[in-house]
Amino acid sequence: MAVRERARGAVRADLDEVFRRDYQRVVGVAARVLGSRDQAEDVAQDVFLSFSHSSVPAAEAPGWLAVAAAHTALNLIRSGRRRASREEIAAAAEDTVVSDVADAVVTLEERSRVRAALARLPHKQAVALVLRHSGLSYADVATALDLSPGSVGTTVRRAESALRKELNRHASSD
Amino acid sequence: MRHPTEGVLRRLIDEPAGVADPDRQHVAGCDQCLTGLAAARQDADLVGAALATEAPVDVDAAWRRLSAAAAAAPAPVPFAAPSRSGRVRALVRRPAVAAVAVAVVLTGAGTAAANDWLQVFQTEQITPVGFSTADLVALPDLSAYGDLQVTSDPGVHEVADAAAAAAETGLTVPVVTDLPRGVSGEPVTSVGGEAAATFTFSADRAARAAAEAGETLPPTPAGLDGSSVRLVAGPGVVQVWESSVGAPALVVGRAVAPTAFSSGVPFETLRDHLLSLPGLPDDVAAQLRTFSADGSTLPLPVPEDQVASSSAEVDGAPATVLATRDGSMAAVVWVDEGVVTAVAGSMDGDEALAIARSLR
Repeated sequence: MAVRERARGAVRADLDEVFRRDYQRVVGVAARVLGSRDQAEDVAQDVFLSFSHSSVPAAEAPGWLAVAAAHTALNLIRSGRRRASREEIAAAAEDTVVSDVADAVVTLEERSRVRAALARLPHKQAVALVLRHSGLSYADVATALDLSPGSVGTTVRRAESALRKELNRHASSD
Repeated sequence: MRHPTEGVLRRLIDEPAGVADPDRQHVAGCDQCLTGLAAARQDADLVGAALATEAPVDVDAAWRRLSAAAAAAPAPVPFAAPSRSGRVRALVRRPAVAAVAVAVVLTGAGTAAANDWLQVFQTEQITPVGFSTADLVALPDLSAYGDLQVTSDPGVHEVADAAAAAAETGLTVPVVTDLPRGVSGEPVTSVGGEAAATFTFSADRAARAAAEAGETLPPTPAGLDGSSVRLVAGPGVVQVWESSVGAPALVVGRAVAPTAFSSGVPFETLRDHLLSLPGLPDDVAAQLRTFSADGSTLPLPVPEDQVASSSAEVDGAPATVLATRDGSMAAVVWVDEGVVTAVAGSMDGDEALAIARSLR
């Protein structure tokens, strides 16, 4: 049986370099999904652990790591494996730094609603949204998700519109 | 000229240089587009603020943690009492093989659709992406082509053992009698209930989707606009074994085959029309192809440059054997009386077939 060679314990030589270059960004991707730095760091550790045994070309590493972090974090929120909401809110309060987008005031509760809505979005839409807001270019998102560059904007726009509706719906029912 | 799409307006906010000059000039002089642009910007800012997190991390401490974990590595995670990070690791470790098996079990339903499936194969040596137990039982996203109402959520979750899985799904859970070399212990078992959705085709929305893709819609067959179809997939069960070194090694899954029911026009008419539409995403098309009126046929989306497909027989049922061309992974899938079963793992096609035939 051909158990994969890499899995025998060989760790790639450029791991240190890639880790130091990309760790903060990978945590950022996961944190956008999870809203918690601690959980995001757990995800990033696992993503890098997988990466350490992989043969992903170094040039493709940033995209691979970002997509892996987004998928893994989304899988976490979708499979309902998050911590109890009380812990979660505490964690979010501890981690959250108010955004510098002055016009958009978003409360903690709204953040948690956005994440619930994120979990309900079609997977590809959610990943595209998170990658885009993590700073990946349209071309990078297109490559990562096998979309045409032209459809990235549409996909991101739909996701944002869905999330905004989610926020408005709750705001108007309060 | 026609108005640029919402997607173009959205890109204008982030990467104006990526938008064609005629589109930019049009938007600058079009009230309707400027309004759309403002709305897009507002949504983008709001969502950006809601998602923003700027917690600084301690890279050195994180590196020490990773180094320790990598050194300790293949120590298997005890699934019975997983730690918090263990749960994450459990999700990450299952990965490629699981993705393949689930893709096969549900033949492209959910994220395991052609595109993602292809990506899984492209990065098979390593990928932790593309698989979620939440996708164990899933349905194609047809929302761009009409009204899709999900009537039953599969609620995928882990269960204690095969007996619990059988009780929850009503399926006969496959029993592996001889585990391949390098694989031992108990599998992690997950189940999902039935996923069901009703889709109502809208010629109008299909035309819009086509326009966004820059295409023209072919004529809609008579009686199709407004007709409904019910898509059902699952319940299903998947068992995942790790190899002695902690890599996912064997996946055995079984599910009620995806089926479509139609009250009006024959489902095939609607399906074939949808498949003929320009701009239909490849993954949605692949998912759609897996649905048949009687659940008896099972076309598989196979990326032919990377995967070789051949025919075989398992317990009298015709089976498809898929093997990656580098020989690192293989899967066997077959349908018997509306139930699809798949065996996949880090092995060659013959080994996978031997396990498939030895299932009890």
